[in-house]
Amino acid sequence: MRRGGFHKGLRGFWWLTLGFLYLPLIVVMLFSFNASNSAASFTGVSLRWYRRLLGNDAILSALGNSLLLAVVSSLLALMIGTLIGYGMYRHRHRKLGWLIVLIYLPIVLPDIVFGISEMTFFVKINELTGLLSPGLATMTIAHVTFQVPFVALIVYSRFVGLDPTLFEAAKDLYATPRQRVQFFMLPTLKPALISGFLLSFTLSLDDFVISFFTAGPESATLPIYIWSAIRKGVTPEINAIATLMMAAVALAALTSLVLSRRRAAS
Amino acid sequence: MSAVDGKDAGTPEQHMTRKPAGARAPGGTHASESVSEHVGESFDDNAGENLGDTVNESVGESHGTNADQPALPRRAASSIQLKGLHKRFGNEVAALDGVDLSIQPGEFFTLLGPSGCGKTTLLRILAGLEALDEGQVVIGGRDVTEVPPHQRSVNTVFQSYALFPHLSVRDNLAFGLKMRGVAPREREARVAEMAEFIKLGSLIDRRVDQLSGGQRQRIALARALVCEPDVLLLDEPLSALDAGLRSQIQIELLRLQKRLGMTFVFVTHDQQEAMVMSDRIAVLDSGSLQQVGSPREIYERPANAFVARFMGHANLFDVTARDDSRSDAIRLTTPLGVLTAQAPGTGSLLLLRPETLDLRRRPASEFERHDVLENHLPGRVQERLYRGSHAEYRVEVAGVSVQVVVNNRGGQLPEVGDQVDVVVAAQDLITLRG
Repeated sequence: MRRGGFHKGLRGFWWLTLGFLYLPLIVVMLFSFNASNSAASFTGVSLRWYRRLLGNDAILSALGNSLLLAVVSSLLALMIGTLIGYGMYRHRHRKLGWLIVLIYLPIVLPDIVFGISEMTFFVKINELTGLLSPGLATMTIAHVTFQVPFVALIVYSRFVGLDPTLFEAAKDLYATPRQRVQFFMLPTLKPALISGFLLSFTLSLDDFVISFFTAGPESATLPIYIWSAIRKGVTPEINAIATLMMAAVALAALTSLVLSRRRAAS
Repeated sequence: MSAVDGKDAGTPEQHMTRKPAGARAPGGTHASESVSEHVGESFDDNAGENLGDTVNESVGESHGTNADQPALPRRAASSIQLKGLHKRFGNEVAALDGVDLSIQPGEFFTLLGPSGCGKTTLLRILAGLEALDEGQVVIGGRDVTEVPPHQRSVNTVFQSYALFPHLSVRDNLAFGLKMRGVAPREREARVAEMAEFIKLGSLIDRRVDQLSGGQRQRIALARALVCEPDVLLLDEPLSALDAGLRSQIQIELLRLQKRLGMTFVFVTHDQQEAMVMSDRIAVLDSGSLQQVGSPREIYERPANAFVARFMGHANLFDVTARDDSRSDAIRLTTPLGVLTAQAPGTGSLLLLRPETLDLRRRPASEFERHDVLENHLPGRVQERLYRGSHAEYRVEVAGVSVQVVVNNRGGQLPEVGDQVDVVVAAQDLITLRG
């Protein structure tokens, strides 16, 4: 009996946790379809806020910035991170100690510290050389720096999971260094590259703190736009943007999950 | 072997082109009804050239089973010369310490030794996967010491098989040809031909992860063979298989090698496997060659105590004195007693293989009799392991334990505690260096 009670308690705790995690999101999604502009009562289903979004140039430009930043930074991070991951794999028998710590540090470093230091860094460079004025370029650099460790980690663990003799088999079967990359490494890495890209993409899309410190006047992304809009109160329009962002991130996360499942199965 | 000499100066690029599609046509492209006829011919040639001096009994069997299998075109096999190979990893002891070796074209050559003896390092040096500290590697008359692996006409069957997980069986087989730039049409034809040759059948479109160990082994072999290398290297390719499958594939592999006439260099730590399959064996220990020779030479006339022990059960005793005064025989004094030998060599260690010894029950009445018969050593059975086809004995002779293997011919096998004579044949006695 007591055991049964304990299990019931656990089940309740599970639902409570789930509620805390997802109820606020569900409320936001629900109210994005609210017909009235009051956050107090739900009066009917309507798409008027989504239509309003399409007419709002500031939002559309923020969305454009967000997507551009996410795509460009993810691609750059993918290239750099893959090279680092491969380098870590190639030299895994050496003592890499501090090098590894330095590569992984950005993962655990607080965003605010990261953002402030990047900002001071860019501002100083800008003062001295006139280059790197705050804008999409500085944001891209900042985003790449925090995306790279994730990509490197994913690529490295994919390589570690492979039979090391595969690299030798490729050499033995007449593949030149270039052919080894084209016909062996890249195809083998493909799932890791896709999930690395998607992870970088979502990290970039929902980053606020680092973007905020490195952004320029013209380069507001969606999270920055939402933050500034929200100071005037939460409008149903914001709910609609939030819902769209959730959908985008969920889609990317799901794709990544499916791909890694398939990889694990093979 | 003039064809081998003809390509000596060839660069890897020329290697590709020196096998024009037309020249290698007959076996693969003939209509199926004419195939068996052709196989018969090519196999007879094969037997004449390559099987003449082999000691393997099982090779003879392959004549019969061969005719129903499609043949791959044969090409001239390549020789290998290794001169003064030295290799050291870091500060450890030398992995290879001055190895000189010459492997004949078309030979099934085995590198045998305990783990860490340098046999795998030697194979990897042949493949080009390991760089040499010193020495020279010549394959098919061409010095390849500095040639990277992807430019050597050498293929390897890896211990782990190393099949590419992202490719189907078909694409795995085609990988080497594709990298060499063989046109898609010819590539497909050669892969199909190889698949038929090695009886892959329906496996060809499977994914690699859907295959059993034996199937993977077969595909790893096919993937290497389809490239028609000068030399095929095999790194313990059977060690991951269970015993039954293993002996079956040993025979298949041996027949395949005889049929292709290709030079095989095979690495194993299993002396039984080495003796069954090889034309010649090189026994390695601590990075240096202990002995090179045919399986019979290695087993019956080992060069030293290490080889004798490694190749099978061995009774080894010090020879304390030697009497050459008799013209027809030499008398050796050993801890077992004085033995008469015919041509024992000049070593200081006596080798008695357990299966060359025999046991005679000594009637109780004769027990007190002094050993009048030559090479009959009186002893007492300490232990008997009955194995059906034979029995393994441990017999105490003059306070020393001797291993004896007696075939079960249906007669009486001595029991533990019996008084017996251990019978040694004078012609089986040999001595080794220590």
